[in-house]
Amino acid sequence: MIRVQDLSVKFGDTTVLHDVSFDVAAGESFALVGESGSGKSTILKALSGQVKPHQGSVQIGTAPDALTNRLALARQVQMVFQDPYGSLHPRRSVDDTLSEPLAIHRLPNRDQRVLDMLDAVGLPRRFRFRLPHELSGGQRQRVAIARALMLDPPVLLLDEPTSALDVSVQAEILNLLKSLRAEKQLTFLLVTHDLPVVSFLCDRLAILRAGRIVEVADVARLRTGAFTSEYGQELFQSSVE
Amino acid sequence: MSLLSVENLRVTFPSDHGPVDVVKGLSFELGRERLGIVGESGSGKSMTGRAVMGLIPPPGQVTADRLDFDGTDLRHLSKTDMRKMRGARMSMVLQDPKFSLNPVIRIGEQIEEAMAVHGAARATARRQRMMEALRAVRIDDPERVARLFPHELSGGMGQRVMIAMMVVLEPALMIADEPTSALDVSVRGQVLESLDDLVRRRGMGLMLISHDLNMVARWCDRILVMFKGKIVEEVGSGALYQAQHPYTRGLVASLPRIDEDRARLPVLDRDAL
Repeated sequence: MIRVQDLSVKFGDTTVLHDVSFDVAAGESFALVGESGSGKSTILKALSGQVKPHQGSVQIGTAPDALTNRLALARQVQMVFQDPYGSLHPRRSVDDTLSEPLAIHRLPNRDQRVLDMLDAVGLPRRFRFRLPHELSGGQRQRVAIARALMLDPPVLLLDEPTSALDVSVQAEILNLLKSLRAEKQLTFLLVTHDLPVVSFLCDRLAILRAGRIVEVADVARLRTGAFTSEYGQELFQSSVE
Repeated sequence: MSLLSVENLRVTFPSDHGPVDVVKGLSFELGRERLGIVGESGSGKSMTGRAVMGLIPPPGQVTADRLDFDGTDLRHLSKTDMRKMRGARMSMVLQDPKFSLNPVIRIGEQIEEAMAVHGAARATARRQRMMEALRAVRIDDPERVARLFPHELSGGMGQRVMIAMMVVLEPALMIADEPTSALDVSVRGQVLESLDDLVRRRGMGLMLISHDLNMVARWCDRILVMFKGKIVEEVGSGALYQAQHPYTRGLVASLPRIDEDRARLPVLDRDAL
């Protein structure tokens, strides 16, 4: 579903990604882990068309021209960001936020689709005409997830979707993501530094360091701490301590 | 003797529906030790730290039956006296160094300024103490770092500079409010180690406020768990997983584990508490 091949990205003279390659199968949940500056968010940006690859290619789904056709790309992939306070327009109601993608893509039945989506992400329908500041952090993140799913994309890019939330709210959002994935057969690409979250939500993970993938492993190896690379072990240790 | 004694601390803010207590009658003692305060957003943990520092902005009101710090009653201190106390005798490290450091002043100058404000020493002595403070938070080349501007520092380094600025006057009490949540996992350890070091070597009292249960459990001697403005439980640091109160147990259970095999995470039922 997602194929990244020999991807290199440069900002000016600095190379931030060196020949990164990985594949994510349809319906799989794949995690990118690493410290800040390791390039994990840059991979998401390349996949969502926000940065141009210097070399190599990224492909999502079957549409070969997805990266040149932005509307087609939007139907293939959507993103959920870390900070629900920053990613929602403060002067637009939940209804505006969720209807906008439908209007842009000229889809019918907007009213019903918005209501269905509110139900799907577990937001009471009375929240439909509220503004972001009237919602809690967890509720806002539910709106952000709902917005990402409005166009029924097969792929979701999740950039630290729960790290700005309280632990008990994090549990709710992680449960929601897990059940949505099962219901809609979504493919997840999750960026995080939190290994326990990977253990809960993902099937495989890639460990990045300084713009290179040092190891791709099954989540089973994460659970037992059996990473083969030295750096993977280091990350595991700092996480269990 | 304990460093800080708090009895029946209340922080009240007015609202449309009458006054609201965000901290509801808190009592605790802090010695020269590491005390953790955990709770979720809105539990009142940050307000507790700010109330002790005298940093609750109006219209907020602080009342307490007792608020003694190192033999001084903080309740009746004038603004001027409180200002002398803050920084010199008690200080606070906040979440994000990017917002706490002045972006257009060099690191060394900022730290020296803290000393100058409190009338400490002559310029040469100040410079020497500034270097020592940077070394104390494990910055190996203080000469170079002192000349840098805040934007030239990484997050972890910035936070250690903040701590250096706070400890240069050798306060007896340090309140750290989410000191590592803006930082990368890999540098969190370094920042907490510098704090830990200062508690051990200088006999400082540390109040570590955080929502991160595991971090607090690892770095503190005692933990107060706050919920809705009250302390619901006090646990020893090793005993977090044996906690009794349903709220604490709920929080611990809702954390994903590295060897996670549960299909769903248990969610805290707030109405049942």
